[in-house]
Amino acid sequence: MDTKFRRKFNKPKYQELDTGKSTSKLRSLSNNAQLYLIMLPVLIHIFIFCYIPMYGLVIAFQDYYPGKPFIAFDGSVKWVGLKHFTEFIQGPYFKRLMVNTFRLSFFYFAFGFFIPILFALLINELRDGFFKKFVQTASYLPYFISTVVVAGMVLSFINVDGMVNTIIQAFGREPIPLNTDPNYYPAIYTITNIWRTFGWNSILYLSAMASVDPSLYEAARVDGANRFEQMIHITIPSIQSTIFVLLIFAIGGLLSANTEFILLTYNPAVYETADVIGTYVYRDGLLGGNFSSGTAVSIITSTINFALLYIANTISRKYSDYALW
Amino acid sequence: MHCGREANDLKQLFNRKRNPNKIKQGSYVADFIFYVLALLICLITLYPFYYVVIMSISSPAEVAAANVTLYPKGLYFGSYKFIVKDPNLWSAYLNTIIYVVIGTVLNCLAAVLGAYPLSVKNLAGRKWVVRYLIIPMYFSGGLIPSYLLINKLGLYNTRWALIIPGAVSIWNIILVRSYFLTIPESIKESAFIDGANHIQTLFKIIVPISKPILAVISIYTIVGIWNNFFTALVYLPNEKLHPLQMYLYRVVVQQTVDLKKMALEDTRRAVDLMLSNIQLKYSIIVFTTLPIIFTYPFFQKYFIKGALLGSLKE
Repeated sequence: MDTKFRRKFNKPKYQELDTGKSTSKLRSLSNNAQLYLIMLPVLIHIFIFCYIPMYGLVIAFQDYYPGKPFIAFDGSVKWVGLKHFTEFIQGPYFKRLMVNTFRLSFFYFAFGFFIPILFALLINELRDGFFKKFVQTASYLPYFISTVVVAGMVLSFINVDGMVNTIIQAFGREPIPLNTDPNYYPAIYTITNIWRTFGWNSILYLSAMASVDPSLYEAARVDGANRFEQMIHITIPSIQSTIFVLLIFAIGGLLSANTEFILLTYNPAVYETADVIGTYVYRDGLLGGNFSSGTAVSIITSTINFALLYIANTISRKYSDYALW
Repeated sequence: MHCGREANDLKQLFNRKRNPNKIKQGSYVADFIFYVLALLICLITLYPFYYVVIMSISSPAEVAAANVTLYPKGLYFGSYKFIVKDPNLWSAYLNTIIYVVIGTVLNCLAAVLGAYPLSVKNLAGRKWVVRYLIIPMYFSGGLIPSYLLINKLGLYNTRWALIIPGAVSIWNIILVRSYFLTIPESIKESAFIDGANHIQTLFKIIVPISKPILAVISIYTIVGIWNNFFTALVYLPNEKLHPLQMYLYRVVVQQTVDLKKMALEDTRRAVDLMLSNIQLKYSIIVFTTLPIIFTYPFFQKYFIKGALLGSLKE
């Protein structure tokens, strides 16, 4: 497996060879011009919609008012340095937002990371056929349902007279105000997000398992290994490197909660545990019109996120040969 | 950039035959446990959908009494008859179709145009162009600067706000480029010898043999646009232009639309029938999600291919 992985992900030594067919300099020049012309619309689009907003980040260091250019040289721009950063960090919401964002992503990671692995191991033990296919198809399905629909379903289920409380009452307990008690929000978030993604996240493991040489299993059986032993000694080693890489990058994503989902399912009663950085930027920065401070907040989180990713990538490159860059 | 071997992997991925059936002998007890577990997981995954469906087609009285759990009681399609009368639902459906069709065509076009030159081996400055594409995958201006930009460009509150910014996906360009690299040079060479220029080669020769990858990115784009609500939430306050997901958002999540007041002449009837809001919501969820649920199994192989392709270089 290890060599296969290496072959798959190692940077190949690609040689840029000019085929040597007497292409005159002039011809290759027009050739290049033609090629750049083909790309031009795409390059311009990326410049406008990716690079200009990056440049727009400078408003985090200004007192920006809508309608003004990001930078003007007539002295109308009020540069305020790190004011918005320090204000946010010393402000009342900083701790809550950081803790909430970390808590929600951590729960999802802690419970959500291993479930796809166990699920893939289970699927791998089923015989090929209709049932196996059906289970897989069913498990991938929630991934393709829109966030709005999932949120709508969750909201109606956790209502006082919703499905969850109907079940609770069937056991003779009092209904729980799941949608207004902040203590329950992390659990609701975690369960829903795992439900959405566990099947889909098992695909990479399944594909790694599928590439195991069946003769290995045969040999193991000849040696008297039972199914459990086969799983421990053949199947699990075959996905080890996949587990490792995905684990590292899951750690890299520890400060990125699913903002869209939270935006749809939270309400002021549960802000205490549900309000995360992404939702705060949307609510206070965009809707509240605090463009500069909102941008400062998102710069803080993207910096932390990128630092985490960078660390993850460095570790991965060192130990597994697979790196993003 | 990595090219050669990765290209080979891609080729394998597309040509891979299904793994031969590897039946594992073992105790039937273990088999039984595995099958029960798998069945249980299936139930957990599917029951919420099933619940929504049976709630939407049960009789209002049973729904109000919270009696429906395993199968629909008192089959009743009144709530569907009710929701299809809402013109907003249909205009939202139409809007979504417009966004999906235009968005997908533009995305494929952009991916092909962006990918082809980068797959030509002697393009000058290719390294720099690739860097130019990679940087936005890790850094972005984020929500607020993009919002200000869209405003400044005059796209705010127009259909274009949902179409133009999403028309180019760098990720798609990279996927398509990897695929183009697997196409043998000789095919292009023969076109050039016949006097074709790059544009002709691209659209007459390369694109027709790249259908597998175009299918993958189309499917992903279609589902992405179909399910997207956040862009409309931020850039498109005009309800007439809202896509389906925003309609759903208003009805199911925000609850700003009181369904019973939708069709005034029917109000009395609705109340008479004790049609609950919740039942109407479930009906709308079913009605708007059906296209995905019914088509998804047919396209599953493309989704999986896409996921595996992504992992090659994620």
